[in-house]
Amino acid sequence: MAWFDFLKKNKVPKAGFVAEYEKLFEKKTPSLRPLDQLGFVVLDTETTGLDPKNDHILSFGAVKIKGYRIIVNTVLEVYLDAPKRNKEAVQIHEILYDNQVFPQADFVKELLAYVGSDIIVGHHIGFDMMMLEKTLKPFGFKKFLNPTIDTLYLSLRLEKGPHYDISLGKPGEHSLDSLCQKYGIPLDDRHTAAGDAFLTAQLLMKLLKIAEKKGIKDFGSLVR
Amino acid sequence: MSNVIVNRVKEFLKRYPPFSFLSDSSLELVAKGVEVRYFVNEEVLFEQGEPAQNYFFVLKEGSVELTEKKDGVSKVVEVCDEGDVFGVLALLGKRPYILSARTREESLIYAIPVAIFEKILQENSRVSLYFAAGFASGQVVVRSDLSQSQKARTAFTELSKDNGLLIFTGQSDLNYSHEVLTCQAGETVAMAARSMSEKGVGSIVVVNQKKHPVGIITDKDLRNRLVAKGRSYDTLVDDLMTSPVMTKSKEADFSSLYLTMIKNRLHHLIFTEDGSPDSPVTGILSDHDILLSQGNSPAVLINALMNTWEVKEMAKIRDRAERLLKYYLENELAMDFVANIISEINDIIIQRAVQIAKNKHDVAYPDESKVKFCFLSLGSEGREEQLLRTDLDNAIVFEDVKASKLGKTKEYMLLIGQEVIEILLSCGFQSCPADMMANNPKWCQPLSEWKKYFSDWILSPNQEALMHAAIFFDFRPIFGSKSLADDMTSHIYQEIAGKTIFLNFLAKNALLNPPPLGFFRNFIMEKSGEHRDKFDIKLRAMMPLADIARLLVLSHKIVGINNTFKRFEKLSELEPNYKDLFLEAGKAYEILMRMRAIEGLRSSNSGRYISPESLGKLQRQMLKNTFAPIDELQKILRVRFQLDYFGG
Repeated sequence: MAWFDFLKKNKVPKAGFVAEYEKLFEKKTPSLRPLDQLGFVVLDTETTGLDPKNDHILSFGAVKIKGYRIIVNTVLEVYLDAPKRNKEAVQIHEILYDNQVFPQADFVKELLAYVGSDIIVGHHIGFDMMMLEKTLKPFGFKKFLNPTIDTLYLSLRLEKGPHYDISLGKPGEHSLDSLCQKYGIPLDDRHTAAGDAFLTAQLLMKLLKIAEKKGIKDFGSLVR
Repeated sequence: MSNVIVNRVKEFLKRYPPFSFLSDSSLELVAKGVEVRYFVNEEVLFEQGEPAQNYFFVLKEGSVELTEKKDGVSKVVEVCDEGDVFGVLALLGKRPYILSARTREESLIYAIPVAIFEKILQENSRVSLYFAAGFASGQVVVRSDLSQSQKARTAFTELSKDNGLLIFTGQSDLNYSHEVLTCQAGETVAMAARSMSEKGVGSIVVVNQKKHPVGIITDKDLRNRLVAKGRSYDTLVDDLMTSPVMTKSKEADFSSLYLTMIKNRLHHLIFTEDGSPDSPVTGILSDHDILLSQGNSPAVLINALMNTWEVKEMAKIRDRAERLLKYYLENELAMDFVANIISEINDIIIQRAVQIAKNKHDVAYPDESKVKFCFLSLGSEGREEQLLRTDLDNAIVFEDVKASKLGKTKEYMLLIGQEVIEILLSCGFQSCPADMMANNPKWCQPLSEWKKYFSDWILSPNQEALMHAAIFFDFRPIFGSKSLADDMTSHIYQEIAGKTIFLNFLAKNALLNPPPLGFFRNFIMEKSGEHRDKFDIKLRAMMPLADIARLLVLSHKIVGINNTFKRFEKLSELEPNYKDLFLEAGKAYEILMRMRAIEGLRSSNSGRYISPESLGKLQRQMLKNTFAPIDELQKILRVRFQLDYFGG
C-alpha cells in the first residue's frame, strides 16, 4: 500500500478529503442552537488492545441522532483490514474475519465524510478518538475538530454536578453496562462496535432529556 | 456486510404481527427505514385532528396511551404495550388523527416511514388485511391473532370511499343544515324576512311548487337591495332573490364543493337530490360551515400561531401550512392568493420568533432593548414569493446610537438575530449558504451603516454589489419600526436619482442570465455536477424575470411593491404600450413559481432543478411559453438602457 510509506516521513501531505473535512469548521455552530436541532454521531470502535501505539481498530460502528431520533438507515458498520491481528482480542470480541473487510484508505475517507461537523459522542470517547486519529494520521490528518461528548462524563455531570472527581466513585460504576442498566436500556450485542454505539446512542438520548430538564438546553451549555 | 443494529430492529419487529408475516428481505427493508425515537413521560406523539405524519409507530419499550377528546373531555381509549402498532390511520387514508397519543412513561418508539410500508402492503395481501381489520375495530392494531381479518374485506371496501378525502380538512365530516328554510316564489319579502327572523337564520331559499330551488335571499340582500334602495316590503321575493342558484349533490366530495364556492365567490351552496337545480332541495352549506370544518384553513393556522410561544408547536403549524400549500397548488388556486397566505404565515412565524427572542434577552439589555430596530426579510421572502422553506435571507436594521453605546447595542441585536434564525431553522427553514442572515454581524447594522452599504453598491456597482442588490433591494419590513425601512427606501431612491449608470449596470446584469432554450428550442440543461441533465428553473427562468421587474420598478421609483408579478402588473399600468407583454410576464412568473413549488413538494427539496422529461407534454410546452416574454423584455432593456453602446 502506497500510503504506508508516508509513515516513515515526518511530514505527511494532506489528502483532499481531509482538507474538505477541515473546511467544514470554518462556520461555527451558534451556541444557542437548541439540542433537538443538533446532529450527533455516536460511535464505538473495537480494537486489538488498549495501547494506541501498537494496537489497531478491528471494527467501527456508528449511528446518527438528530431531534431525539436514531435513524437506522444512517448506521455505519465497518470491519477493518487491520495490519495486525491479536488472538486475544479476537477471543474477547469474537470478531472473525470474513472476506468483506474494508481497506483502511476507503474507511477513513468514508469516516470523515460521515462525521462531517456533527458532535461526536461515545463512551470513553477519548480512546476511540485516539485510535481513529492514529488511523487517519497517514493521510495528513492531525486531529478531529468536532465538538465531542463523552457519555461517561455527561452522566457524571448530570448526576453529581460538574466538578465531580471520578476517582471517588466505585470502579465500574459508570461503565456502559452499569449505566445502561441504571437507565433501563436492555443490553444486547455488547462487544460489537455497532451494538455498543446503538446502546450509547440510546443512553445519549436519555441523558440529553435529563440535561434539558436541568437547564442545559443549547449547544453552548452542552459542549462547554 | 452484516449489520448489528438493523438485525436488532428486525429481531424485535419479527415477534409481532403484522411484521411476522413479512419475508426476511421485506423485513430488512422495513428495519432499515426505522427511526428510533425516545420520549420522556407525558410527551405527545400526535394530537387528535392533526394531519397524519409520514410514519406509523411501534412501541418498543414503555407505554403510550391513546385518548379521544369529545365535547371537551379526554377519554383514554387504549393503552399500548410493547409491540403494539398505532397511528396507522396515516397508512390507509391519509387522514388526520382521530385520537391523541401520549407517553405514560419514558418510551422508545420505532417510527416506520409509510412510504416503505406502502410498497409492502401492495405486495403482501395478508399484511394489508391485517391493517384493514385493525383499522376497522379501532385505531390501535393490537397484537392479536388473525380472526379479525375475517371482517377485513368489507371494512376495506368501505374505507376506500373516503380515501380521496381532503388532506387539509381537520374533520372528515362536514356539518351542514339539512333543514333548509324555504319560501314559495310569489310570496312577499316581508313574509320571507319574518320566517328568517323566526328561525334565526341569515338566508332563505326560494323554491317553486316542485320544491326545486329558483333563488336565494340573504340578510345582505335585504339590506342592500331592499332597505337601502327604499323598496316596498311587499316586493315579491322573485324580484329580490339572487337567481339562478348553484346546486350540488351532497354526495360530491368536499374539495369540489369548496372550490365551487371559492371560485364563484358563493356564501351559500344548495344541495339538491340529484345535484341539479331541477330537483328538490335537501340541504344548504354556508361558508361558515366550511370554515368550521377546516382544521387547516389559513385562518385556523394563523390563529393557532398567534396562540403559542412554543417553537415546536410553531414548527408543527408550519408543516400543516405546507399541506395547505400542496392542496392549493393541486387545485390551481390563484398564485397571488397562495403566495399571500404563505407569506402571511411566514411573517407571523418571524414576528413571533422576534418576540420570543426579545422576551428572552430584553431583561439583560434594559437600555439596548429600547433601541428601535426593524427585522427585514430579503430576497424571495422579501418579495412574498417564498412558497417552500428554502434559504432564509434576512437582516436587521436599528436606529443610530451614540458611538459609546454601539458595541453593546450591536451585541443585543445580534443576539436577537441569532435567536430568530435558530427558531426559524427549528421551523424547517433552510439557512442561507451565503450567510445573508440577521445572525451575521455584517447584516445586523445601524441605519447609517446600511445607507453606506446601499450607497456603495449604487456608486460602485461591481459584480458583488450587483449580487447584493438583487437580494437586498427586495427588503420588506416584518417586525419593528417600519420607519427605518422607509428611511432606507428613500435613501436608495435619492442615491439612484441622477446616477443612471447604476440602472445600466443592473440592466446589464439582468441580461447576463443564460437563455433557457438552445438553438433548437430545446432546454439548456446543467452540464455537470449533482443536477446534471436537469433544468435550472430558478436561474434560467425566474431570476431573469425577477431582475427585470426589480430594475423597471426602480427606474419608475415605485415604492412598496415587492412581488414580481405585482410589479409587472404595476408596470402594465405605467407603460400601457407594453401592457400585454408585462401582463404576460407576470403570468409567466406565476406559472414558474407554481411549477417550482410543485416540484419542490414532490421531491422534498428546493424544486429548483426540474428534469424536463418528468413533465408532461403540456407542461413542457407551458414552461417553454413562459420564456417568450423574457426574450421580449430583454430586447426592450437593451434599447432602453442603451446597452449595446455601454461597454461596462
